[in-house]
Amino acid sequence: MKEYFELQYRMINRRFKDAGIEPLLAYLILTVGFVALSIYLFHKTEFAQYVYMLFALTLIGNLSESRRTEFLKVCFGTIKLKKIRVTENLVCLLPFLIFLLSKRFFVSALLLCVLTTIFALVSFRATIHSTLWTPFSKGPFEFTSGYRNTFYLLFLAYTLTVIAVYVNNFNLGLFSMIIVILSTLSYYTKPENEYYVWIYNVNAKKFLINKIKLALLFSTSLALPIAIILAVFFDGNIGLLLLFFIVGWAFLISVIVTKYSAYPNEMNITQGILLALCIWFPPILVVLIPYLFKKAENRLSSLLK
Amino acid sequence: MIAIRNLSKKYGTNEVLKNINIQFEKGKVYGIVGVNGAGKTTLFRCIADLENYEGEISSSRGPIKNRLGLLLTEPFFFQKITGKEYIQLLCNARKIKIADIESRNIFDLPLNQYASTYSTGMKKKLALTAILLQSNYYFILDEPFNGVDIQSNLIIAEIINKLKELGKIVIISSHIFSTLSDTCDEIHLLSNGSFIKFVHKGEFPALETEMKQMTIGNKIDNLELT
Repeated sequence: MKEYFELQYRMINRRFKDAGIEPLLAYLILTVGFVALSIYLFHKTEFAQYVYMLFALTLIGNLSESRRTEFLKVCFGTIKLKKIRVTENLVCLLPFLIFLLSKRFFVSALLLCVLTTIFALVSFRATIHSTLWTPFSKGPFEFTSGYRNTFYLLFLAYTLTVIAVYVNNFNLGLFSMIIVILSTLSYYTKPENEYYVWIYNVNAKKFLINKIKLALLFSTSLALPIAIILAVFFDGNIGLLLLFFIVGWAFLISVIVTKYSAYPNEMNITQGILLALCIWFPPILVVLIPYLFKKAENRLSSLLK
Repeated sequence: MIAIRNLSKKYGTNEVLKNINIQFEKGKVYGIVGVNGAGKTTLFRCIADLENYEGEISSSRGPIKNRLGLLLTEPFFFQKITGKEYIQLLCNARKIKIADIESRNIFDLPLNQYASTYSTGMKKKLALTAILLQSNYYFILDEPFNGVDIQSNLIIAEIINKLKELGKIVIISSHIFSTLSDTCDEIHLLSNGSFIKFVHKGEFPALETEMKQMTIGNKIDNLELT
């Protein structure tokens, strides 16, 4: 069991090194980022503990994937498997648990512990045979698979919008917009297999423009219901909503061009820092997007001529 | 027509393809055989422009990749994409509009299920269906018969004959000699990155015998099975 966790630790460190960042620095950034986001979430909404629990369970639920569990069972046997699964679930839960306890949400913390332990003892079959309907079937693949992976977050965002109207809290409405924007950004973070770039019979510039057009169209269709509801019930904030939309679009474009500027590799730490700088000061995007677009065009030119 | 002249490909110091010269003509089916690591997949990747190379690959109809249907040995599928959406993706990429994908589903695949849940053979059939619906002119089929059931193998063989009839260029690799002898006009033997032999249809049985002798030799005797 000790060897298993040592191996996991080495594998995580390897991933950081591959991304061009020292593991120690990565742990520091992750800790600061986690605390900052948690503080922000709890500052923004009174429903933060529920959102927080959902995030924690989603993250931990990934470890219960059936093929992974089967593999561990073959390697370690049933009893050791249970010990390993409970331990790794609790380790992943720890940051969430500490924060919930620091905020004195004892019931939520206890409930999370119980659910996490139950998660460790069951395995989820990832190969469910029922197919989730998506409005994006005609324009695969990012939004098609992304929507299916994050539909519960989108559902949460729409629910929060209704609650925002009900409790007359515009900021909560904006938070639901952020959930949708972040979800759509996540669809473009991983580089796809080269075959799915190669198949296009357009040049790199046209390819990128088409990707951006589709992303803007689809992300708008997801965010528009929230924007309309907020615009109707908080009509004094339409300007702010519009600004949110524009910044959201700019970030979406920047993530797409960042992804392809590193293609076929994953985004590296420098690009991550540049994007983080943009969150701090969004006007940088005006310069960054054209620069990364050109870089992406060069990167793709060997596959798209 | 596809013309390959003086094609060489190196990975570091390892020369995988050595001065390949070959011409693929319209309306013909070509089989490429060779042991694992002989350079077949690298050759296909070069033709598809997925690799940089030395030498020249040209065609009579502009860039090959824009009219090439490439069936990989192990096609990659995204998670949570249905079979139908996979076909849609490949058709969108080539700006092909298909009104009714279901009616073109000749392998009776469960198109509304996630492609990642398909068996190996079903994945291959899905990938093949998608490149056929792209209306390509050139086809490279890397191990199209592998993992596919007998009934579907018969359909694939018929599809290849139909493509030939339509004047397309089809290049196939397979480790199952009989599948090639049924469909190909020529078979080229690739060894250590070079073509060492090619034969026309009438000479296929002789090539098979020769390959058996070359490959098996007295290796089985060396096992000293009792």
